[in-house]
Amino acid sequence: MALACPGESRCPGPGGPARHSPGTDGGAGAGCAEAVADTGRPGGRVLAALAGFRAPVVWILLAIAFFTSISGKPVDGVLLLIVAMGLAWDTGRRTLRHPEARHGAVPRPAGRYGGRRWLVAVTALLAGGAAYAGVVGSFSRYSWPVTACIIGLGTVVVVIGWQGPLRDRPVGGRLPVAGTLAWVAVLVVGCLWELGALLQQPSLTTDSYAHPTISTLTDPVLATSPGRAVVLLAWLALGWYLVER
Amino acid sequence: MTSHEVTIAGYLVVLAGIVVLQVLAARTRAPVPSLGDLLTRAMRSRTGRVGVLVAWAWIGLHYFAK
Repeated sequence: MALACPGESRCPGPGGPARHSPGTDGGAGAGCAEAVADTGRPGGRVLAALAGFRAPVVWILLAIAFFTSISGKPVDGVLLLIVAMGLAWDTGRRTLRHPEARHGAVPRPAGRYGGRRWLVAVTALLAGGAAYAGVVGSFSRYSWPVTACIIGLGTVVVVIGWQGPLRDRPVGGRLPVAGTLAWVAVLVVGCLWELGALLQQPSLTTDSYAHPTISTLTDPVLATSPGRAVVLLAWLALGWYLVER
Repeated sequence: MTSHEVTIAGYLVVLAGIVVLQVLAARTRAPVPSLGDLLTRAMRSRTGRVGVLVAWAWIGLHYFAK
């Protein structure tokens, strides 16, 4: 869809004179809202969602939602479906407003933290994380309390990440192709090995001793409260690491 | 070897591959990016960033939630 802005002075593009960032506009479309697709209308929203489906991540999330649902985890499936649809709509909306930002570049805000406040924040997060792991780890697996805690934290982290990185990071250059392909190969082989074990189970919801999945192998650790707390701590640490990327 | 042992051996081979690549990235001049570099690159776009964070959330859901 061709989107014409009537004038450069009224409609600066990403990085233009008005420092209009494609990733941060929040849908404002400052100065040229009338020139772009009106995503406030039902037709505009459908158009935006369809444009967002060009993002491979959306299809990956939809595939995971489907397979998770048929594996006996409908709650996970519904949540992933919601995120996939939301991401498709948001990506499409931003693309329609700023065709140049088709890849949805994440802005790099200036650093916000430093010094004593940062230290206090990190200490509070560490204490909160330890408390969270201890309390949630004391709940039984697959119970509603632990489900609510995991969904709550996961939602907060995804929403924070949706806004962009927490602080400035160097963009970096291109990654070496050969080394990147090596990583892709190892990770794909790992996924296929896990999938092979899953498909050799008696059913998708019945574990197999002969062909254990990673979930089956970790069951003994997660059967105890301390084990769950340790794994939750590792999960929290990974989440913090990713939010900081 | 039993099927159980073969399956576990496969996981260990993959894990060893991850460790080797990470060591190559961190300790040598081999043209191999670290896993952190890969994640950072993947998270430069909004869709990539949300995708990676959703994958993290899904791990928690998968192992603990209903």
